[in-house]
Amino acid sequence: MPSVAARLALYQRTGGVITPILTALVAFMVGGLVVLATTGKNPLGTYKAIFDGTGLNWLFPWVGGAERTSAAFELQQTLILTVPLMLTALAVAFAFRCGLFNIGGQGQYAVGSIVGVQAGVWLSGLSRPVHIVLAVLAAALAGAVWAGIAGILKATVGAHEVITTIMLNYIALWVGSYLVGFGGPLQDPRDVSVPVTREVAQSAKLPVFWGDPVLQGLHIGFFVALGALVVYFVVLNRTTLGYEVRAVGFNAEAARYSGIKVGRSFFLAMAISGGFAGLAGAMDVLGWEFKLDLTEIQSSQIAFIGIAVALLGRNTAIGIFFSALLFGALLNGTSTRSLDPTVFKPELAGNLTHIIQGLIVLFVGADLLIVYLWQARRKLGIAGRAGGPRRKAEAGA
Amino acid sequence: MDDVPVLELHEITKRFASVVANDAIDFDLRRGEVHALLGENGAGKSTLMNVLYGLYHPDEGEIHINGKKVAFGSPKDAIEAGIGMVHQHFMLIPVMTAAENIVLGTEPTHGRILLDSDAARKRVRDLASRFNFAVDPDARVANIGVGQQQRVEILKALYRNAEILILDEPTAVLTPQEAQELFEILNSLKGEGMSIIFISHKLNEVLDIADRITVLRRGKKVGTLPREGASEAGLARLMVGREVLLRVEKSASAPGEPLLAVEDLVVRDNRGLEAVRGLSLEVRAGEIVGLAGVDGNGQSELVEAITGLRKVEGGRIVVGGRDLTGASTQEILDNRLGHIPEDRQRRGLVLEFTLAENLALHDYDRPPNSRFGWLRPGRMAQHARRLLAEYDVRGGGPRTRASALSGGNQQKVVVAREVSREPRVLLAAQPTRGLDVGAIEYVHRRLVEQRDEGTAVLLVSLELEEILSLSDRILAVYEGRIVGEYGSDVSEEELGIAMTGGHGPAEAAA
Amino acid sequence: MTVQAASVRAAGAWERVVGARGVGMLGIGLGALAFWLALPPVETRTVAVPVAIGIFAIAAGLWAASRGELRVGWGAVAAGILGILGGILATRSSVEHLEIVVTWSALTAATLRFATPLTFAAIGGMFSERSGVVNIGLEGMMLMGAFFGVWGADRTGSWLGGLVFAMAAGGLLALVHAFFAIHMQADQIVGGTAINFLALGITGYMYIDIYGTEGTPTDLAGVPDVQFGWLSHVPPHGLGNFLDDTFGQMNLMIWLAFAVLIVSYIVMFKTPIGLRIRSVGEHPRAADTVGISVYRIRYGSVVLSGVLAALGGAYLSIGFVHSFTENMTAGRGFIALAALIFGGWRPFGAFGAALLFGFSSALARRLPDAYGQSAGTLFEALPYILTLIAVAGVIGRSIPPASVGRPYKKQ
Repeated sequence: MPSVAARLALYQRTGGVITPILTALVAFMVGGLVVLATTGKNPLGTYKAIFDGTGLNWLFPWVGGAERTSAAFELQQTLILTVPLMLTALAVAFAFRCGLFNIGGQGQYAVGSIVGVQAGVWLSGLSRPVHIVLAVLAAALAGAVWAGIAGILKATVGAHEVITTIMLNYIALWVGSYLVGFGGPLQDPRDVSVPVTREVAQSAKLPVFWGDPVLQGLHIGFFVALGALVVYFVVLNRTTLGYEVRAVGFNAEAARYSGIKVGRSFFLAMAISGGFAGLAGAMDVLGWEFKLDLTEIQSSQIAFIGIAVALLGRNTAIGIFFSALLFGALLNGTSTRSLDPTVFKPELAGNLTHIIQGLIVLFVGADLLIVYLWQARRKLGIAGRAGGPRRKAEAGA
Repeated sequence: MDDVPVLELHEITKRFASVVANDAIDFDLRRGEVHALLGENGAGKSTLMNVLYGLYHPDEGEIHINGKKVAFGSPKDAIEAGIGMVHQHFMLIPVMTAAENIVLGTEPTHGRILLDSDAARKRVRDLASRFNFAVDPDARVANIGVGQQQRVEILKALYRNAEILILDEPTAVLTPQEAQELFEILNSLKGEGMSIIFISHKLNEVLDIADRITVLRRGKKVGTLPREGASEAGLARLMVGREVLLRVEKSASAPGEPLLAVEDLVVRDNRGLEAVRGLSLEVRAGEIVGLAGVDGNGQSELVEAITGLRKVEGGRIVVGGRDLTGASTQEILDNRLGHIPEDRQRRGLVLEFTLAENLALHDYDRPPNSRFGWLRPGRMAQHARRLLAEYDVRGGGPRTRASALSGGNQQKVVVAREVSREPRVLLAAQPTRGLDVGAIEYVHRRLVEQRDEGTAVLLVSLELEEILSLSDRILAVYEGRIVGEYGSDVSEEELGIAMTGGHGPAEAAA
Repeated sequence: MTVQAASVRAAGAWERVVGARGVGMLGIGLGALAFWLALPPVETRTVAVPVAIGIFAIAAGLWAASRGELRVGWGAVAAGILGILGGILATRSSVEHLEIVVTWSALTAATLRFATPLTFAAIGGMFSERSGVVNIGLEGMMLMGAFFGVWGADRTGSWLGGLVFAMAAGGLLALVHAFFAIHMQADQIVGGTAINFLALGITGYMYIDIYGTEGTPTDLAGVPDVQFGWLSHVPPHGLGNFLDDTFGQMNLMIWLAFAVLIVSYIVMFKTPIGLRIRSVGEHPRAADTVGISVYRIRYGSVVLSGVLAALGGAYLSIGFVHSFTENMTAGRGFIALAALIFGGWRPFGAFGAALLFGFSSALARRLPDAYGQSAGTLFEALPYILTLIAVAGVIGRSIPPASVGRPYKKQ
């Protein structure tokens, strides 16, 4: 069986940029049918309302006045969500290029946010840039260590990374719940009735560059995430480390035969992946959450959505950017705050997002289906357009 | 009526994409005979048998069993028609017992629901004793030897009341004793009225066991002849299609200092058993040493140990005067050792990489391919372009993916990569497997060139013909030890005896 | 003579009777005993008792491990260490606290309640994975069962209707997984992830759409409990009371789980169907060459896994809490997967692991009453840590079916 990465490469060649778009469109169409069948409402109207909640209409020059102000705010919220989506997607993508399926982004994200928030609380008194850099690095390192456990187990005893990262997710979830929960060592001692940590120091909060810092404007983590996309591309394609990771991902046996240390690549790929996820946790706690509560740790799904982002983005930097934008918009557009409840219940819309997400992952996973569709499309295209000449050719033969 | 053949194949044609694997082949099998199907690798023997067993669907042609036309949609149909097949790679489940493997798919039951393992065990014992051999029904397949496993495969067919038994290269993995025992079993099956198709590319074996012999060459049937009057030379001519076997033009060798020395090497296989047991050999500068042996006698483990891919349990490996026992693969390759691995698609190339990337597979982490950890794709491509021209690789440039190339050109890429590093020692494991004649000649020429430039070449091959035509010195390997050393003028027969555990003259001398 | 030497001698004598495996099992039992003696009703207050017995357990484990029984042997060593630690903690604790937490009948009953959904799903997963299809979509299939159990019970007015709806929904979602895993040859991990998203979305959407924000009806038809009044009359009186408190009033679904467990064991290891399922998961081509339809077996096994997982989910909703809330399975499908792996892909192994995980959940829920909120939370991580250790091979490696996760391509 070809490795996952080899299949991915095949997929990229056959589908290019069109299949991901097709995949998303089909998923949205099915979602629209669900809306139509269950509520009888026009799906387009529903999608329009969701779209208006994303703030993407800010990009249209004709939108002005108060609408523009609120669009700007919504767009800031959408982009705040794309930050952890891009980073957790990178956590999936980097491991994927080494032939590993890192399903443990959520745990690595949780560990990163716990360490990030604590570094933000404890290291107060430092100057702002130093404090931020230290807290961010600590969070990324924590994520790397957490994922590195799975990497080491894969490299040494061959334990399947899917199993180990799932287990590490839940260990992180429960240990995290213990730490910030009732009576936990990290709970804010001033109010023991609320399971939440203390707030990070002012000096650890990421600067806001667009919007009102008090009203949750867009923080510089957005540029950190964009930078991470560039780093991902450069490391993978322009460094010897990336060369090793890709060689192992495509054909671990040939890599081993040529002297590449496969176990080392597994470990490094997982650790770097975990670093991205830990970074995502830091961006959220230092960028807009500022403290971490029990429900956040127990019910966050952000890194699971990151899996969908990575798969839809074909594990390429540019693809991840656009699919993070799509999912970020979808999340924000269906949130209780953004969606007009007279048009569509936000609770329904949130679940519609899950359905669309599931369909996208399902279709993306089935490369054969996409290849079939692709070939069928081409056949149909040729049959439709080239009907005349072919008949001529037959007559000639 | 007895003169109706139990099996007739009429003009069977099977195509894969553009390749015609079987081209209008006729074949018939009489009751109680052993009919050998002889041909080189890739001649279409296995394809034809897979058609007969219902694994492939023929594009054209008909199959008749006992005079009646049949069509097989799946192996199930073939089994029901009385056909049993012993595949070259055994179709056995290692974690299950012999009895479980044998009854799988046609299990005896208590009251139609529960598995009746007592009945299964008893029937396995009965069947085995009817044909005078023993199989422990409760032994796990993973824990028994290859010869035993083959008997389990035969019992699988007998259990399903097969009247026609197909054996695909059955001796490839057997020791000579085991092969002899297999022949006895086949004779006793024949005596019970069983009809047997025996697939092989080994001439002596076919002459030993077969009543009639059909020769295939490049997907076409060349002829069917009775054993009486058939000679090895005649069969070889039919098989290969030309009078003279492949010979490589080469001058006499001038061996220099020893560049590769293996001393008392002990290596274990994947199951933890000793596969190389105190093996010693030496390859000198400017000579090609051929390692001849039946598959599975420790050759792969030896090569993997020399290249640092497998742990050395005992003994020493010295390359160019430096003791590299236990060194990492990278260290060993950097010590000017070249390795053409035995499976280019799985081990030699990263098929999804470009040719430039594949050509840099060892040296990606040093100039000109990279500097300070940064790749330099421009230099990589430039280097690749030069090598592709020098080694006559066709079908793509530096940015073409390796998977887009033909097998022969893929192997040229591997050869280019290994040879261009100017190795002092070159290991070539099955370097021509599955290649066409042109590519084989190319690879052979390159190996001889390397020898002439003073490289020590160790050639590991399962093809005796290749060993005989290339080597300056030949070592026969058997059960993880060198059992004989010969000059290039040794006869195929003498070598065959040695590498199958018989007594060669060299061993007698030692 | 030291305790160590004595115990090694004792282990040697024991070995002649029951073999190394028996010695290992004995060690595991001793480890549990070490802990148990420090708990009510015995409540020994001296640390020496659990420590001494724990050392015996460790010695027996080392003995068994040195005789080649690695899994059982190291299991006994672990049990001995845990027994000593547990015993020390318990003897240091106040008696009142202990008696709040450890009421054996309540603890056993709670263990079974927590273990039941895991058992259904883990055995479902066993069918799927033994046939060669990885199923990390168990979580989603359970969730489908949980919602459709409620909806079915609501629509038909009968718990039986609820179970039928649940099984159909779980089977249908599993069919989707099977189609993509088998015919589309999609990556099975990706497919399973998608299944979990889909189930979350479908159940959440339908829940909001049908029941809105008020929640599911309070008068739902639930799966009934089975009453065994006569259990309390079993002599002696203490045992009778224990049996009655534990088993006297258990939900029908718990008994069903026992039945499923036994039937699954028989099907998997004592029938031709089971032999075929295992052969397809180990070496599909070999199965194909003897005329077994790999695809049919895999479809059947995956759909069955969905049906069973859904039963586990339905137990949660209409057998236990009698309502549905969004994402109510909350990771139980993944614990079931862990139980399956920890149990070595065997029915009784998976059940044993489910009991262990259920026990740790039951204990986790009771610890806060005596020792504060945070103590129980940390305990919830135990199943995952144990499974991580098991796959890492510290306590004998868990080896999956050889061809699990690999799509089969017909020739």
